[in-house]
Amino acid sequence: MNSLVIGPFAIPLATALLCLFAGRVGVWRRWTVGISAFVQLVVALVLASQAVGQSPLVVVMGGWTAPLGVALVVDGLAALMLCLSALVSFVCILYSYLELQVEVEQPMRLPLMQLLVAGINLTFITGDLFNLFVAFEIMLVASYALLTLEANDRHIKEAFPYLSVNIFASGIFLISAGLAYAVFGTLNLAQISERAAEMEGQFSVLLVMLLLMVVFGIKAGVFPLYYWLPNSYPILPYSLSALYCGMLTKVGVYVLLRMLCTVFPHSLDRVHIVLALLAGATMVMAALGAISRNFIRGILSFQHVSQIGYMILAIGLFTPMAITACVYYVIHHIIVKSSLFLIGGTAFFRSGSDHLERMGGLWRLSPLLGCLFLLQAFSLSGIPPLSGFWGKYIVISESLGEGHYWLAAAALLASLLTMVSMMKIWLKAFWDKPRGEQAPIVSPRAQRGMTLIVAVMVFFSLCIGFNAEFFLKIAQSAADGLMDQSIYRESVLNTMGKGGTAE
Amino acid sequence: MAYDTALLVGVMFTVSTYLLLQKSFIRILFGFIIFSNAGNLFILSISGAPGNRRAPIIEGDRPVTAYVDPLPQALVLTAIVIGLGLTVYLVMLLYRIILDSKTIDTEKLFQPEPDDE
Repeated sequence: MNSLVIGPFAIPLATALLCLFAGRVGVWRRWTVGISAFVQLVVALVLASQAVGQSPLVVVMGGWTAPLGVALVVDGLAALMLCLSALVSFVCILYSYLELQVEVEQPMRLPLMQLLVAGINLTFITGDLFNLFVAFEIMLVASYALLTLEANDRHIKEAFPYLSVNIFASGIFLISAGLAYAVFGTLNLAQISERAAEMEGQFSVLLVMLLLMVVFGIKAGVFPLYYWLPNSYPILPYSLSALYCGMLTKVGVYVLLRMLCTVFPHSLDRVHIVLALLAGATMVMAALGAISRNFIRGILSFQHVSQIGYMILAIGLFTPMAITACVYYVIHHIIVKSSLFLIGGTAFFRSGSDHLERMGGLWRLSPLLGCLFLLQAFSLSGIPPLSGFWGKYIVISESLGEGHYWLAAAALLASLLTMVSMMKIWLKAFWDKPRGEQAPIVSPRAQRGMTLIVAVMVFFSLCIGFNAEFFLKIAQSAADGLMDQSIYRESVLNTMGKGGTAE
Repeated sequence: MAYDTALLVGVMFTVSTYLLLQKSFIRILFGFIIFSNAGNLFILSISGAPGNRRAPIIEGDRPVTAYVDPLPQALVLTAIVIGLGLTVYLVMLLYRIILDSKTIDTEKLFQPEPDDE
């Protein structure tokens, strides 16, 4: 049964290759990818049912024992992330089918999307630092290609900052992986955690972690290094920007959690406090940026960065409850943010523009869409009892408990500013009188389909909000597994295979 | 040998940082090429004397101690391939940007246009 662990990486990869080499664009390809995405969702759910609250599932590649071969590990958090990525990619793929008719679809879009998902899933399940680098590169290369694939001549330049910042981050990641090998003599995460625990307090451990923090901070979009994100995401088609916002930056958050909780000793206070302060700055600066924009995708992208701040703040506080809140926040945010992008997309396809000055009157056209938007907007800014409230509540109460009053104030302020920017979209796009010519871009049938998909996503997020106790318990068991390094080490290093041990 | 390599890596990082901060994105491109090569050289230098570490090579049941550690070389090989792919992609993207906007100056490139939001 353990061989299922490779599934979340292998299935999308096989689908991508199949689409690349077998024939032309057509309806059959949409069916293939759709069914494959559904199978991925089922596999992820099966893995989650086996891993959440239990010991991690480990598979060693090629049968070599852990320090020699690459180990794939699915623990509680990884299983949760796999489920979310499978769900979001399934929804985004269905949505992209409605976005474009099959004849005008860019032939590379679906294979690249599958490759992107393969890269994302591999970062979740890998138990090896260099393998993590490779997974990151698979994900990033697919994301570069998707970003420029359908960009027009005016927008293509926004891909350049995205590319340069991420190539720079990859370079630092490579160097820090090399440095980790020089310091610890191994790249296996379980073994690194063993040796880092022995070397606790030494400067070299701190140095490796600081370098990794810079890398994943860039990838997650933390304060001084986030400017590439809110300008490049808006050039993507809506279904893709929902996938990017849902998953790509969460990969950065996930790896930060993994490194700080599972791999490195828990005594790196300096890293934690730096992260918490940067998170505070991220929240406020990006929320201000969101107010300055006046097209939907721009506002949502900036808000996205601001929300990342809450998760990073929770990691920076580093109490068991804060880590639980971070995991819960990740679950909530992936669903809410991607559904908000899809709602923005539906609004765009109805009114023919996503510039707020040229929109209006959507409330009269589609009250259902307006209700869905309001629910998600309130959820994102943290109105009880919707899903955003619980994560924010725990993060803020933990930061008050730890004595970081300014950070709590920043979190509250950012939440208020998020509400203001949401109301900007609401007033201009939904409530105002319609302005000028508004021509729907897609057929009414596709519009209904889009609204249905969005409604399903909103239903999920309502479930998370009203079932907060259940989801907090799952998050807590994932966080406990994350914080307990010995379970992770034992289950990885005790998996039997060829070659004995390297010691 | 370690000091020569350290010096060379240091010089390469300096040059690449200088180039990355330039306005012309042709220079930025060269900055990236040098940057990735400096990273590769840095990792290769780890492969030298094993010190107190043992290479992950198994002969029969006992570990081998006489070899230089081959793992960093395998890592560098992977990194070179990825770096090459990225460079090619970056060249193509910059070529398209040059064709579209007729400039290689990043400052001019990102000037807000009159009809911009």
